[in-house]
Amino acid sequence: MEPEHQERSEINRYETSGIEERHGIVPAWLIGVIVILAVWMVYYLIRFWTPS
Amino acid sequence: MSSVAERFADDLVDRKVVLQFLLSGAFWLVFAPTIGVILSIKFNYFDFLGGISWLTWGRLRPVHIMGVIFGGFTTSIFGLTYYMVPRLCGVRMYKESWSRIIFWLWNIGFTAGLVSLPLGQNLGIEAGEFPTWANILVEIVLAMITVQVVMTVLRRKEKLIYVTLWYLTAAYIWTTFNYAFGHFLLPFHFAGVNNAAMHGLYIHYVVGLWITPAGLAVIYYFLPLAARQPLYSHKLSLIGFWSLAFFYPFVGTHHYIYSPIPYWTQTIAIVASMMLIIPVWTVIQNFFGTFVGNWKRFQESFTAKFLVVGAFYYLIGCFQGSTEALREVQRLTHFTDFVIAHSHLTVFGTFILWVTAGLYYVIPRLSGHELYSRKLAVWHYWLTVGGFSLMASTLVLQGLLQGTMLQAGTDFVDSMVAMKPYWFTRTIAGVTMDIGAVLGMWNLYRTAVGGPLLAASPEGSPAGNAEPQWS
Repeated sequence: MEPEHQERSEINRYETSGIEERHGIVPAWLIGVIVILAVWMVYYLIRFWTPS
Repeated sequence: MSSVAERFADDLVDRKVVLQFLLSGAFWLVFAPTIGVILSIKFNYFDFLGGISWLTWGRLRPVHIMGVIFGGFTTSIFGLTYYMVPRLCGVRMYKESWSRIIFWLWNIGFTAGLVSLPLGQNLGIEAGEFPTWANILVEIVLAMITVQVVMTVLRRKEKLIYVTLWYLTAAYIWTTFNYAFGHFLLPFHFAGVNNAAMHGLYIHYVVGLWITPAGLAVIYYFLPLAARQPLYSHKLSLIGFWSLAFFYPFVGTHHYIYSPIPYWTQTIAIVASMMLIIPVWTVIQNFFGTFVGNWKRFQESFTAKFLVVGAFYYLIGCFQGSTEALREVQRLTHFTDFVIAHSHLTVFGTFILWVTAGLYYVIPRLSGHELYSRKLAVWHYWLTVGGFSLMASTLVLQGLLQGTMLQAGTDFVDSMVAMKPYWFTRTIAGVTMDIGAVLGMWNLYRTAVGGPLLAASPEGSPAGNAEPQWS
């Protein structure tokens, strides 16, 4: 297993509660959404800072 | 206490306090929505209970709002906090003896505050309406629990801090300050437009810095347990936490688009509202990513059922909330029931349902009893889903219709007359949900005081492995 994949699949276990979690990933589609929203945010702030 | 209940208590959880909080929370989860039903009847029959001053619309609406937020939701969250925090930290709550004092302080302070509202004592700040003497008690409680939570986290034995603790710790710290701001500063030190702007911040801090993070703490705790699978992504959960913490404080002014409040602050509020899509979608991705491969749990567990349906409403309600802030959408929907649809989709459809999932998980385990009646739980679930889906869709539709009529220049009174069938449907939906809540909370109460005993977990298995059949 590649080290990067291994890190993603690594599981943390919280003993008393029995909860487990993967270190996990951020899906590419969600990164895309974040980038698009960030670009839109900059545009909207500049465009609508004052009434045109 | 049965041997199974002892194992779930793990010598870490004060079983009695948790159950006391959860059962009193269950009471408020029936009481406050019932007031909502009475209010909805007033839309259809304007004179209904109108002859008694303390049952008039203006006096009862705050009882509904404060009852849901601080009665049903917050009381249950306190109970779940006393369950989740010690189990995530591996140590008992800091100053555990405070918890029983807090239980009585909270219930006396909150009940007295709630009773004062129909009697006409009201600070006049929406969602911050209790008189000052009651607020002092509430503030003391918030400060005490915050100290307990923070100190317990600091003294934890677990190396890592699970995302539930991130959300809970932040929620308590934020809310201790915000409650003081909303009740001791806002009503007395801000006037006019400034008061409205600051109120926008206060009320959205209640929603975004209390209800949301405390609710997310609950779902992140019970999600992997209900799905019986590891949480999909720790990294994603923290992106959600930090994006919520960064953007939510700016959204308050989106209630005042097209108002005399400076244009640029409105723009910041709009942008921040849209950016909240990020934390919402991280939660949804984490939610479904965790459940993938074990959807049969949705059939088996009422905790899973309420979590899943809450996540569905969360996605819809929050997307609606973000886009609702946009100027073009706001122009159509402001002052309409579209806004009421949003508040119900998020507060009830999402966070009350997630808290209900927590009750279904914790009460059988801590009491050591199987769920008293599976049939009652099924009725609770379907009456809630059916009633609430009807209510939410009706409110959305009537909001859009109202907005369209007003934009077209229809007389205001005519637009109200056109709402009559929708208001009636809303009442029917509310009654349906309320019957479901009564059945569900009665079921949980009977479970706590004596359902069939849970079977013991297999010898040698870790503590907490005995699973109630349906929760």
